[in-house]
Amino acid sequence: MTHLRPGGRRRLLAAASGALALLAGGTTLSACSSSSTSGAASAGASTPAITVGFIMVGSRSDEGYNQAVYDGSQAVAKKDPSVKVLTADNIPENNSVVQTMQSMVNAGAKLIFASSYGYFSYAEAFAKANPNVVVVHQGGFLTGTFPPNFGTYWGQAFEPVSLGGMAAGAATVSGKLGFVYAFPISQSIANIDAFELGAQQMNPAATTYLVNTSSWCDPLKQKEAASALLSQGVDVLTQHQDCQATVIEAAKAANAKVVGYHYDAEALDPAGWLTGSAWDWSSVYENIVGTVQSGKFTGSVYNANWVGSFATGDNPLTLAPFGSSVSSDTQTKILAAEALLKEPGHSVFAGPVTCQDGTVLYAAGVIPTYDQINSIKCLVKGVVGTLPQS
Amino acid sequence: MTLTSDRTETETPAENPPETTPPAAGGRVLGLVGGTIGLRRLGVALGVYLACLAVFALVVISKGADPLGVANSMVHSAFLGTGSIQQLLLRSVPIVLAALAVAIPARAGLVNVGGEGQLIVGAVAATGVGVAVGHAVPGPLSWLLMALAGAAAGGLWAGISGILRTSLGANEAVTTLLLNFVANDLMLYLIYQPWKDPNSSGQPQSRPLAAQAQLPYILGHWLNLAMIVTGVAAVGALLLLKRTGWGFGLRVVGGNPEGGRRAGLPVNRLLLSSMVVGGAFAGLGGMLNLAGTEFQLRPDITLTFGYVAFLASWLGRHDPVKVVAASILFSAIALGGNGLQLGYGLDGSVVDILLGLIVVAPLVLAKNRRKAI
Amino acid sequence: MNGVEQALIGGVDGGTAILIPALGELIGERSGVVNLGTEGCMLAGALAAFDAGTTTGSAWVGVLVGAAAGASFGLLHAWMTVIRRADQLASGLVVWFLALGVTSVFGVSYINKSVVPLPTLAVPGLSRIPWAGPILFKHDALVYLGYLLVALVWVVLYRTRIGLTLRATGERPEVVTATGGHPVRIQILAVTLGAALAGIGGAQLSVGYVDNWFNDMTSGYGFVAVAVVLFAAWRPAMVLLGAYLFGVALATASVVQAHGVAINQYLLDALPYLVTLTALVAVARRGSRQAPEGLRRALTHSV
Repeated sequence: MTHLRPGGRRRLLAAASGALALLAGGTTLSACSSSSTSGAASAGASTPAITVGFIMVGSRSDEGYNQAVYDGSQAVAKKDPSVKVLTADNIPENNSVVQTMQSMVNAGAKLIFASSYGYFSYAEAFAKANPNVVVVHQGGFLTGTFPPNFGTYWGQAFEPVSLGGMAAGAATVSGKLGFVYAFPISQSIANIDAFELGAQQMNPAATTYLVNTSSWCDPLKQKEAASALLSQGVDVLTQHQDCQATVIEAAKAANAKVVGYHYDAEALDPAGWLTGSAWDWSSVYENIVGTVQSGKFTGSVYNANWVGSFATGDNPLTLAPFGSSVSSDTQTKILAAEALLKEPGHSVFAGPVTCQDGTVLYAAGVIPTYDQINSIKCLVKGVVGTLPQS
Repeated sequence: MTLTSDRTETETPAENPPETTPPAAGGRVLGLVGGTIGLRRLGVALGVYLACLAVFALVVISKGADPLGVANSMVHSAFLGTGSIQQLLLRSVPIVLAALAVAIPARAGLVNVGGEGQLIVGAVAATGVGVAVGHAVPGPLSWLLMALAGAAAGGLWAGISGILRTSLGANEAVTTLLLNFVANDLMLYLIYQPWKDPNSSGQPQSRPLAAQAQLPYILGHWLNLAMIVTGVAAVGALLLLKRTGWGFGLRVVGGNPEGGRRAGLPVNRLLLSSMVVGGAFAGLGGMLNLAGTEFQLRPDITLTFGYVAFLASWLGRHDPVKVVAASILFSAIALGGNGLQLGYGLDGSVVDILLGLIVVAPLVLAKNRRKAI
Repeated sequence: MNGVEQALIGGVDGGTAILIPALGELIGERSGVVNLGTEGCMLAGALAAFDAGTTTGSAWVGVLVGAAAGASFGLLHAWMTVIRRADQLASGLVVWFLALGVTSVFGVSYINKSVVPLPTLAVPGLSRIPWAGPILFKHDALVYLGYLLVALVWVVLYRTRIGLTLRATGERPEVVTATGGHPVRIQILAVTLGAALAGIGGAQLSVGYVDNWFNDMTSGYGFVAVAVVLFAAWRPAMVLLGAYLFGVALATASVVQAHGVAINQYLLDALPYLVTLTALVAVARRGSRQAPEGLRRALTHSV
């Protein structure tokens, strides 16, 4: 376990590499403002400043999930210049994650944000192996007990998604909505159900058609999925994909409306954009960085499964701006629904909620907990399609 | 309607004498093999290498980073950083074994492009066995069973192409390539439904191996038994090829099949066995990567390792020692990519350019290239 | 529109991104050179087309630049394999890795851009044919280019002197030399042209059908194109069939789901490869040898 405490040899090498970089005119010209040579970063570790690493599974400019993470990381760097931010994107969900985390630690990182759902087991293992480094996983699920330097965080994504569903329900003419998702993970199931429930508030007859792509970002499959849905008569598309531009472009080409997810992408299709859900990770990231900086991570809310919500006023997933085609009446209703969700005793899934097969998911008056919602296995009535069964 | 291989009948013996495997000039310059070479060849080789490095430097400069700092950062990331060597060796495990899976049939003149698929089926078989018995039997027994299953699956997968070649004359380069896609789809099919981990909250992945079925760490927090097995396997491959009659037979067949046949060698059996043995190495690699590093099947666990391994075997001219060295070099380049992302904000894929460029020189300088048309 | 029609329409759109590169690969293989780097040439074409399309505002300029980008990687492959006579499979993989790296590094700034895609052109008259009209004749122009190329490649291959020389180069280059031809030049041209078509296939993805650029957006479809050529046994019409079969299989997974049925599509995905393998085996048994002799030699001499 010698690698936990940098030895003299490593310091020498770090100094040497720093000198080499200087000799080579080591001012980095890279676009990444947080760039640093490994030597400089190692030196920085001895000051009170903190180095923080962010790992992304996709491209940091995907107008989607990963760009939201990247934006959050840059917000952290901007707010507190003593925080040195390292980023790595396009890291696949295999042991490469561990290798990247190791490189970040070698560059001085004391806190790592592992931002993909599938990073969980790697992040957990890395935390166990590196007790001096805090690792947090973005995806909000927990198995067993947490190491003292590990946590997971997320937001009640289905809340803004249901508001997007309301916009879709108000906009649809055909009454058919389309949802392109990647995998039948619990969060996607909750999002699909919430979207349909939101739509029903505005149009009780609205139905949501499903297609999965089995990939977080495969543009050709997304296009095929969008085309299949549009040809079914769907006139509003939404999605749970990491990169959302393909589906938006498909909607634009078909003059359909679109509800975004992960990121405000109104600019891609100003005419078709209704609204969407957009991550604003800045305050969550800043809070976690601050907690770690003050040495109080262990035992904090982030050393567990932290989930932000409308009710607690800290849901990192927010309602994106409305597009121009959304009537002021619809906007008012959606904002009213949002205000209601912020009050205690309300939920997107407040009973009665019925599954596709007619069984009662939640009886009238029941307000399910987050954990219950996150383990919903059924699609609600009004969703057309079935989930691949395991 | 096929690529039928009639090499065994028509090959001219002069092209590849059985006694010598001419090493690539590039290999020599890399220091992977000793020996003297002509100054002119050395000059040309150096020129091509420098040109390739210059291309990479230009790419780096065009993205606003300085090449020397980049080189320093890569070396640091791959070798000098804390835990770098451990991660380097860990990453090398599947690549080394998949590269040997290319090198062994290559001795007999066969082209195995199927390392990727053989890694995958090895991991799939190991998962099947490991998940089924891992809880019930002692660790060492399940390691052994998983290793056998992985090697058998890899051998079988490559053996399909071997049989198609020896009995029907179907070109093994083509069939191994096609079987890569079949293997990948097979794995995705399994983890998407039948083998899906019920606790994965919907992610397509298999159940993880029980703790006792995972390979034990021998050093630090990452380096596990797979390292030692890989080393032993590499030595085994070396001995097999250089010290056994079978290995000698492969070289004879690879150099001059007709001569081998006349000398009474069982040519088809040698060809088939070289594919099976090679595939078994890759299958073992898939098993070690699974049981030592990944612990469960996921869509991306091998991600292009098999193709990198093909190039590694090529860079090492199918000589076991050099192939291992080339595999480790490629792993180092991949790890070096981390330094470029963190230090320079470059896209990690920039190292793919370097990986490709490094192979260009030995490719275009090799002595035993194809004959002129 | 029913599901079958939709699967076929999607199959033609997506299949075109496989068809055009596969026709290019056919040309190269007929001359005796296999290009596993087709995937890389497609990627290069996809990015270059998107880049030029967004910069100039014309997707057509994009298609041309995409073809040029594919061709430049093809030229590299030709240099390595034809001039330097390097191993074809290894050289192809090198091209793939190079293109993967180059497009990832230089494509980052294009990921969130928007392009004016190639318009959908309904062919007057033909698109009104009941049922088949919308399936075959209501697409972007590259789809029609695909149709034309199939016919063109067939005619050139079998009905012209150029085609005869190309095939002869792949079979018996010494004969070509003896009759005053230049096999080396022909192979370089064939490989480069093939790679240019791969670039156009990439353009079909980025500015024709998907209208986007993402890292590694070809997701292995270039390898599918190589497999399709084998499936087709180097015959243009069969390349058309094979490419569209892949496209339809891809579209079917979505269409079936959009009709409310969940499927595990991966066995379906594997089917085309298994069919190709079976075809290889079935015909190998009959001992027919339709593979260009030079290609066969190249593959067996690969080590």
